[in-house]
Amino acid sequence: MLLALLTGALATGCYSGHDGLPGADDVDDHPGDDPEHGDDDDDPAIAGFECDPSLVPPALPLRRLTRVQLDHTIRDLLRWALPSEGDAVADLVAPQLAAIPDDARRAPDGVHHGGFSRLDQSVHQEHINATYEVGRAVGDALTRDPARLEVVVGSCAIDADPQNDTACVDDFIRRFGGRTLRRPVTDEELSFYREIFDGEGVTEGMEPEAFADVITVMLASPAVLYLIEHGEDPVEGQPGAYALSAYELASRLSYHLWQTMPDDELLDAAQSGALLTDEGYRAQVDRMFADPRTREAMAEFYRQWLWLDDLPPMDALVGNPRFDAFLGDFAPGPDTHRHMADEALAMLEYLTFDTPGSLSQLMLDERSFARHEDVAELYGVAPWQGGEPPALPPGQRVGLLSRAALTASGTANTRPIVKGVFIRTAMLCQQIPPPPDNANAMPPAPQPNMSTREVVEQLTEQEGSACASCHATFINPLGYATEGFDALGRVRTTQVLFDDDGQVTGERPIDTRSIPQVIPGDDTPSEGVADLAQQIIDSGELSACFARQYVRFSHGRPEDSQRDGCALEDLTARLDADAPLAEVLRAIALRPEFRQRAID
Amino acid sequence: MARVNPSRRQFLHGAAGFSLALPVLPSLLPRDAGAGGVPSGTRRRFVALCTEHGGVWGANMFPADSALTDSQSYAGHSIRRGDLVAADVGGQPQLSPVLRASADALTPERLAQLNVIRGLDHMFYIAHHRGGHLGNYAENDGNGLDGQIVGGYPRPTIDQVLAWSDHFYPDLSSILERSMIVGHDISFGWSNPATQSGQVQALPPEWSSLSLFNRIFVPQEDTQSPRPPVVDRVIDSYRSLRQSNRRLSAADRQRLDDHLQRLDELQRRLAVAVSCGEIPTPQADSQDEWGNSGYDFDPAAQARFWQLFNDVVAAAFICDTSRIAVFRVTDHFSDYAGDWHQEIAHEAHTPDGAAQQVLADAHQRFFADVFMDLVGKLDVDQGDGTTLLHDTLVTWSQESGNLTHESVSTPVITAGAAGGSLRTGQYLDYRNRQADGFGDWGETNERLLPGLSYSQWLGTVLQSMGLPPATYEQGPYGGYGEHFVGEGREALYPSSVLDVQGQPLPWLGG
Repeated sequence: MLLALLTGALATGCYSGHDGLPGADDVDDHPGDDPEHGDDDDDPAIAGFECDPSLVPPALPLRRLTRVQLDHTIRDLLRWALPSEGDAVADLVAPQLAAIPDDARRAPDGVHHGGFSRLDQSVHQEHINATYEVGRAVGDALTRDPARLEVVVGSCAIDADPQNDTACVDDFIRRFGGRTLRRPVTDEELSFYREIFDGEGVTEGMEPEAFADVITVMLASPAVLYLIEHGEDPVEGQPGAYALSAYELASRLSYHLWQTMPDDELLDAAQSGALLTDEGYRAQVDRMFADPRTREAMAEFYRQWLWLDDLPPMDALVGNPRFDAFLGDFAPGPDTHRHMADEALAMLEYLTFDTPGSLSQLMLDERSFARHEDVAELYGVAPWQGGEPPALPPGQRVGLLSRAALTASGTANTRPIVKGVFIRTAMLCQQIPPPPDNANAMPPAPQPNMSTREVVEQLTEQEGSACASCHATFINPLGYATEGFDALGRVRTTQVLFDDDGQVTGERPIDTRSIPQVIPGDDTPSEGVADLAQQIIDSGELSACFARQYVRFSHGRPEDSQRDGCALEDLTARLDADAPLAEVLRAIALRPEFRQRAID
Repeated sequence: MARVNPSRRQFLHGAAGFSLALPVLPSLLPRDAGAGGVPSGTRRRFVALCTEHGGVWGANMFPADSALTDSQSYAGHSIRRGDLVAADVGGQPQLSPVLRASADALTPERLAQLNVIRGLDHMFYIAHHRGGHLGNYAENDGNGLDGQIVGGYPRPTIDQVLAWSDHFYPDLSSILERSMIVGHDISFGWSNPATQSGQVQALPPEWSSLSLFNRIFVPQEDTQSPRPPVVDRVIDSYRSLRQSNRRLSAADRQRLDDHLQRLDELQRRLAVAVSCGEIPTPQADSQDEWGNSGYDFDPAAQARFWQLFNDVVAAAFICDTSRIAVFRVTDHFSDYAGDWHQEIAHEAHTPDGAAQQVLADAHQRFFADVFMDLVGKLDVDQGDGTTLLHDTLVTWSQESGNLTHESVSTPVITAGAAGGSLRTGQYLDYRNRQADGFGDWGETNERLLPGLSYSQWLGTVLQSMGLPPATYEQGPYGGYGEHFVGEGREALYPSSVLDVQGQPLPWLGG
């Protein structure tokens, strides 16, 4: 059945495959070297994956912490070292922390929109400069003041007794190093840092600068910026895969769920060996998942999955006559777009952490999660004060797709094309082929009395045009389904048209009917957003896509449809079975491949 | 030209004024400026301003055909040139509707430092891209088959080729930043640039002019701390891991090698003696302009944003703490209140010209408010009778040619003589007017004609900056970039065009 549908989509000339599958992007020969270049073997496989337990999931080389993870790590380290004033010291090094480069949101090859910052694994000169300068600043901040030095190192650092100096320094290196390096300091490392402290014989006594140098080098060492995973025992039946050590596993888990370094309890579990037992590991996963830091980390996943950071300001065009007329009585503020994103995020968090909500519930929920008055006003409800979220007017706004964060544009017009591309790529993980060479071919000029949908149809769906092959089938119909919401996310049944002076020039009925082809080639019609949401749930495409997106986020790399097949299949099966989102998000950490690494 | 008095130095004087409000400090003088210093032309600078879309019709972008007074046969067809002559339009000098600025900015002397180049082609269909401006064609949206094909072949952009070339930077003793990047995904380099190995990756941009200023001018050493650097011990820690017997993949070791090379660069940078003296921190930051939600529709705010970066670039060049800057400008320089991409850029070819007019006006603002602003700020006497602008090459390139998506005849506007290696004051038209042209563009006013390869232009830039071709050329053809000819375009770019890609562009360099 699915293959037949795909074949139908191919006939339209608009199918580029699902993410993670080979497609037209795969080019083996340099075009200038071979005139017969290109890839003729781009038949799409069926979107999917299959678990082959013998395949070893790929591994990132020397995974780099993200900017967020590194920032959290330094701040947590300071809180650990100086419990009473860690935050104050963090403020002192804030300029150095700010110099850590932002991570770009990166998507797998061939996916031209969206992505996760964890996939940006590039290392730049600015990373090296910043980590060193952070180390310098932290070293200075922790050692300049004798009172702080006493807390960080101990009273032995400032007393007058030279007899305890050696033990004092060694103890500091082992204790501070054990936390900074996220594992015990080896004897070889102890000697190394001891040499730094001694400064080739120039240091006399317990100079604060010597401690600062040790801190600087520790913080700039590879064990801080990178997750270094040597592995231990080979994994049976998976050549090239090695089980992570307890400390490696602690870091991997902590950075996944908390975006920061392991805490005392996790390190204790690593030290005792409990973390390497199924029971002990599960206990740590459960404990950590219940911590608010996991909520924050998963919020990053949701925010980036749904492109919520891309939402433009809603007040940018205030003062423009056409836009002002479109606004009517509503007055967007400079934070309205953030409040819209917050509402969508609050919905996800509520269904994940506050109730055992599922992916299908997410798509069909008819409650408002608007905590701010502006978005609540757009929804026609009171702001959510916590507890049970208020019900929306029945039948008007169904599920995630209907939220202002996914429908508003910041202008007077909706953007069906953008909405369609978003759903197709972010929620279905289906690749849209790029525009053909003649994408600027001349369509008839749109008329001023047309609705947004009619204009888009006129420009991109002319029968027989190259544009129509994708826009009319693969892109626009998905976007039309949410045309029942205007460019602020308000419910509407007609579109009032304005001229540049803000004068009403007409009114057109809204048509949300379309054939969305959730599965390429499927000609099942949709009446609007509720229908589309149900089709998306029923297709299984959303579950599979959610699994792909979460694997990307979790492992910081593109998924491999074959080698990650077991994880993808597991997560998809849970989602299809309406498992709570929390269970799905937690499940990846409990899978065997999370506890191992491929090393060639 | 603003003349500098070495005894009481006027820091900068540009058409738009210098907004850093720096005091006049003798310490701002380049250490070896003047007759006794480095001869003009031996210390070259490069600035690339790269804007989105393009799509400005030839009649709006370029001078009139009547300006083309000379011709010669080259690469199998006739090419033409003429001197730049501005008309007076409403009291403003104008080369074309886009190339118009105030008389204070576009003075005859500065006009003589410009070049307007027409007929430089990406020889394949690429449409939306970022890296194509400077040679990394792999950074594109995969539009059309050609875009997907070249997407498989990433390469560093020419700014990074320069940044790591001993020919461009024979002496790094004053250089804090090898290059200054503003704007996402426009500059690309090796993950290990010293060995030209590893992955080709996008360099992180700077969005804050104040932060960039601090990177260029603020001494790195905390004056309160007497501690000498300990980078050497950090290097030891990486080397220890790299050389250990612990289990690591080959890719792990490559990452460590890359990191070690970067640590060497850090060590070099920390040894730089900052040459600018005590310069007060600028009072304005580019990011302050983003505080207003209406920034996207406020061309004046956008101009201020980029002018603040122009200030930093000019100051860095004068202090010689960096010699390369690349801007990717995604602002539209228009108050158009709709969907710019769909309604203006994608409609700029419609024959009624309404969208085209909006687009052309926006490009004119960029030319006057950003390009010429920078030119003015670089037009400062170095003390030996030459200007900083003379030693610099400023380029403005656009994503597309005269039709959005189509990269034939991509306009390139330049300022500065690259230390005398480039001839200036010219309108150059390399198009083959005898060719049939191509494309199905309905009733538009444009006729697409093939010209010379954009790779030849990039090679010309590199040569003008002092790089021997042998240090950057790859493959069977010269120049820099992609020598691939797109499907169906083979006849437009015969061997006579391909074979000259290694030469400096005629009339321009060499």
